[in-house]
Amino acid sequence: MAHGGAHGQPPVRVLANATSARKIGAELTRRGFLATALAASGAVLFTACAPQKASAASQANGGPLEDKLSIYTWSDYDDPDLLSAFTKKKGPKIVVDAFNSNEELVAKLVAARGTSGYDIVVPTGPFILPMAENGLLERLNLDLIPNFQTMNPHFIHRTFDPKNEYSICKAWGTTGFAYDKTVIKRELTGWADFIDAAQNEASGKTSLLDDPAPMCGIYFWSHGIDWNTTDEKHLADCEAFMTKEIAPHVISFDSAPGGQIIPQATAALVQVYNGDARTGIAASKNPERWQWVLGAPATEIWMDNWSIAKGAPHPEAAHAFINFIIAPDVQVKQMDYIGYDTGVEGNQQRAEEAGLENLDMVFFTEEQIATMHEGKFTKAQERIVAIWNATKAAAGA
Amino acid sequence: MRKLRIRFGLALPAWVWLLVFFVVPIGVVVWYSFGYKPSIFSTNANDKLSFDRYVEALSPTFFATFQNTLWVGIAGTALCLIIGAPVAYWIAVKCAPSRRGMFLALVMVPFWTNFLVRTIGWQIILAPEGWLSHALQFLGVIPGPLGILNTRGAVLLGVVYNYLPLMILPLFVAFDRVSGPLREASKDLGAGSWQTFFRVTIPLAQPGIIAGVLLVYIPLMGDYITATVLGGAKGNMVGQIVASQFQTAQNWALGSAMAVLLILTIALSIGVMAAIGWLVTIPIRRSYRLTLEDAR
Repeated sequence: MAHGGAHGQPPVRVLANATSARKIGAELTRRGFLATALAASGAVLFTACAPQKASAASQANGGPLEDKLSIYTWSDYDDPDLLSAFTKKKGPKIVVDAFNSNEELVAKLVAARGTSGYDIVVPTGPFILPMAENGLLERLNLDLIPNFQTMNPHFIHRTFDPKNEYSICKAWGTTGFAYDKTVIKRELTGWADFIDAAQNEASGKTSLLDDPAPMCGIYFWSHGIDWNTTDEKHLADCEAFMTKEIAPHVISFDSAPGGQIIPQATAALVQVYNGDARTGIAASKNPERWQWVLGAPATEIWMDNWSIAKGAPHPEAAHAFINFIIAPDVQVKQMDYIGYDTGVEGNQQRAEEAGLENLDMVFFTEEQIATMHEGKFTKAQERIVAIWNATKAAAGA
Repeated sequence: MRKLRIRFGLALPAWVWLLVFFVVPIGVVVWYSFGYKPSIFSTNANDKLSFDRYVEALSPTFFATFQNTLWVGIAGTALCLIIGAPVAYWIAVKCAPSRRGMFLALVMVPFWTNFLVRTIGWQIILAPEGWLSHALQFLGVIPGPLGILNTRGAVLLGVVYNYLPLMILPLFVAFDRVSGPLREASKDLGAGSWQTFFRVTIPLAQPGIIAGVLLVYIPLMGDYITATVLGGAKGNMVGQIVASQFQTAQNWALGSAMAVLLILTIALSIGVMAAIGWLVTIPIRRSYRLTLEDAR
């Protein structure tokens, strides 16, 4: 269905909604009645999640806000004070739920087929386009988000969503590692050192991100291979390396080691996102023992985005929230809490003026950014997830 | 005929419940396990059926996790039995009847707190920089920081802690049912307290012991919260890889095959345990059957 034609034609929009409602209803019945469920072949059951183009513009048009808002995001990713400030100012009560990886977010939205009940979701850049193409995201109505004008031009119109039809930057960051200087007494400067330390001083004390792409990135970045490679030879080498050379030395897989692993010193060598490292080191009893290292010679740059889930029950509140949370006056508070740049113009200056600590872990120089590469959603996606699963299994063997 | 109909009528809710929430979901899982994952944005398809997912699930990488799970399951259940039996026996037989309710309530107290929160509590206690580690180092018990967190040992500790009440309660009921007069009769007939315990109490409490073992072993084998929180990379269990196939990889076919294999592993291991138990107790059963007949 061409979505252009549906623009501004309420009857078509209603028709589309009714169709999807019927489809959803049929699915529910199917799930409820066992005989049918058994009879229905998998093919029939799952054609419902085959690609569906978004048929209409976002349902929000500036009407009154709903009384609730539900956000499905990465753990501990917004200052709770700001969430309650929004409720106080605008009314909607906020419920927050967390996922560990983009794959998990997609899994939940695909399974729910528009009935997830989530309004705002926070996918990473490469997932925006495929999610939109598969009918998991609602179009944004930028007229309702005037603060979009205040975004830093670097972080809008990205290749994964050139017109910001589905996404607005929520935060961006990179991947590196932190090490415990009381265990590793030499200077580590990049992924090759990371691997060497994991196999020596930090054997049995190494923690990796529980996120398929950056975990496999350790191999690609250290061996000078594009981390978006789809070459089966590279992927096979990556699998062999991760399962045989790295897995035996790993003590845990955690996407948020700043919560427990760094403060409790459960591991001595920790692959970690920059903002989480900042939080974890600050929470440590002895922050001096930890050293943060940006991944080198290459590493990732990722951008998480505010998006609205297909079938969001509270679209007006969702738009109002996005507009509220990207307003320049709340950025210092948000950045200090999460430890990532939120992509609003003038953030670095604001943070420096406010005297925030460890800003070298939040903002990066042009030269550093030049070594960071965006992940892409390629045909190797499933292969990368399989390598990650095999590495986790091998670590427990 | 009417009696039969009434009997069937009474059982109907249970049958419907079992059918709707047990038989059919398992049937769906088995059905999915023969399918495959067609693309990134769909979870499974069954237009081509094969055993390929089972081959994948039994590859060496995942097989090790199955072994690990079996080890934790058997060791955890055995520890629960060894720790739970004396406690249950003491509450049922030795302690003052007026206090029994209180002790049973104390056994239940941990259930008032959420399972996950209880397990995370252990994560904090066992951390290398946690208070237990500091205390043990201060007392000179261990030379360096405590290294138990994120090992299979930590998972074992966690599952014993989490499932122990499920062992104690059925054992208590079993020991409680072997009433005082029976034990007195045994003593009157000349048996010592150990003989009474092994020849009267244990054989009569056997159904309770079996119930306790099953109640602990089956959920323990499928548990993934304890292993996720305490096991780190080294203590992983099948429940975790099943969860990651459904949640992250979105490969429902492979996840289903793993789930079916887990069910088969549990069923098979229970069968083996029952057979061993039956073989081991042959001589004992013979001897006490004689004793009881003599007594008669």
